[in-house]
Amino acid sequence: MEDATRALGKGSQPPGPVPEGLIRIYSMRFCPYAHRTRLVLRAKGIRHEVININLRNKPEWYYTKHPFGQIPVLENSKCQLIYESVIACEYLDDAYPGRKLYPYDPYERARQKMLLELFYKVPHLTKECLVALRCGRECGDLKLALRQEFCNLEEILGYQNTIFFGGDRISMIDYLFWPWFERLDVYGIADCLNHMPALRLWTAAMKQDPTVCALLIDKNIFLGFLNLYFQNNPDAFDYGLPC
Amino acid sequence: MSGGSARSLAKGSAPPGPVPEGLIRVYSMRFCPFAQRTLLVLKAKGIRHEIININLKNKPEWFFKKNPFGLVPVLENSQGQLIYESAITCEYLDEAYPGKKLLPDDPYEKAYQKMVFELFSKVLTNKKTTFFGGNSVSMIDYLIWPWFERLEVLELNDCADHTPKLKLWMAAMREDSAVSALLTEPKVLRGFLSLYLENSPEACDYGL
Repeated sequence: MEDATRALGKGSQPPGPVPEGLIRIYSMRFCPYAHRTRLVLRAKGIRHEVININLRNKPEWYYTKHPFGQIPVLENSKCQLIYESVIACEYLDDAYPGRKLYPYDPYERARQKMLLELFYKVPHLTKECLVALRCGRECGDLKLALRQEFCNLEEILGYQNTIFFGGDRISMIDYLFWPWFERLDVYGIADCLNHMPALRLWTAAMKQDPTVCALLIDKNIFLGFLNLYFQNNPDAFDYGLPC
Repeated sequence: MSGGSARSLAKGSAPPGPVPEGLIRVYSMRFCPFAQRTLLVLKAKGIRHEIININLKNKPEWFFKKNPFGLVPVLENSQGQLIYESAITCEYLDEAYPGKKLLPDDPYEKAYQKMVFELFSKVLTNKKTTFFGGNSVSMIDYLIWPWFERLEVLELNDCADHTPKLKLWMAAMREDSAVSALLTEPKVLRGFLSLYLENSPEACDYGL
């Protein structure tokens, strides 16, 4: 994988300018938001380089890339910086040729953006579940709330009667949702999808997509990362990389 | 372009018919800043439209079929397609209609506008604490309060549905001793504004 590099932390040298013909993504191997942008880079076949950031020990120079030191951030050879994962994904779709991930039709584009609004509670809820479970706390209420959000998405798929959220082919909105669904199992909350046939079908179809497959994170490596992360080990971000 | 000053439709009202061809309809409310975004874009691009104002304090049951969230603005076209969320409606209009493009063509410049908008929206809605700087009043709250005091006076705060956290913040600010000591009576502010807009030299002393 292009992103199998050690995370840069405090005291690291700032990277040089991005060579022409390449775009750089500041990322972290296990971050779901950065995962969205990496999916789009892969799906569109965009030549890119990955710089992983140690999120618990951020390099001082990284704040010149993002005011709050967040990832993902794209940097191109014109020194332009783009952040916010959804904006970065749309930028890539607009700026690069080849397969368009967003539909051409303005109404269909708007529909995908409205669908994204329905998703907005999912990242927070999945994270809260993970933290609760890792800290040995009960999370029944959180899981119920998450299931409610999934029910809304299940309804949409049922109403549309399509495999994917944008129709019969995978498109941007599917990639924007995917990272959190990939993490349900390793977070220990895969049962939140129980009794949701359309969403399960969608998950299965997504796992068949070559782009999703290429970036699928090995479960054991993810668990290793989570264990170290919750022990506040600064080496967590490099877990699974060859020594 | 009709309806901008039409009475709002409320519970018990008959649902409007389909949108005639060649027109787009916006469900709006005269004082809602979010709906105003969409009206601005419709105006800027010269798009023929009709306006149906919604009584946000007494919503018609049929309105939830237009937007499950029950919020304005919502666009409805003659094909029955519905678009909601103010920023999404604005972008849709820019893409679907000819004429001057409001969003830049350049992918980076377009992304830049969206990044700025996200930062602005985060200030408005993602606030996790009561005050902007934490759980008690601090500099940032005092720096932005004056604009919100004026918005309240001009009754532009009727869209609290969108921004309950902002409404809570405004209420909390009113309890602050410095803010309450300096609050101007609404009718005095309104009186000042009237005179000010007429360029009257008496404006600054209104109410004394």
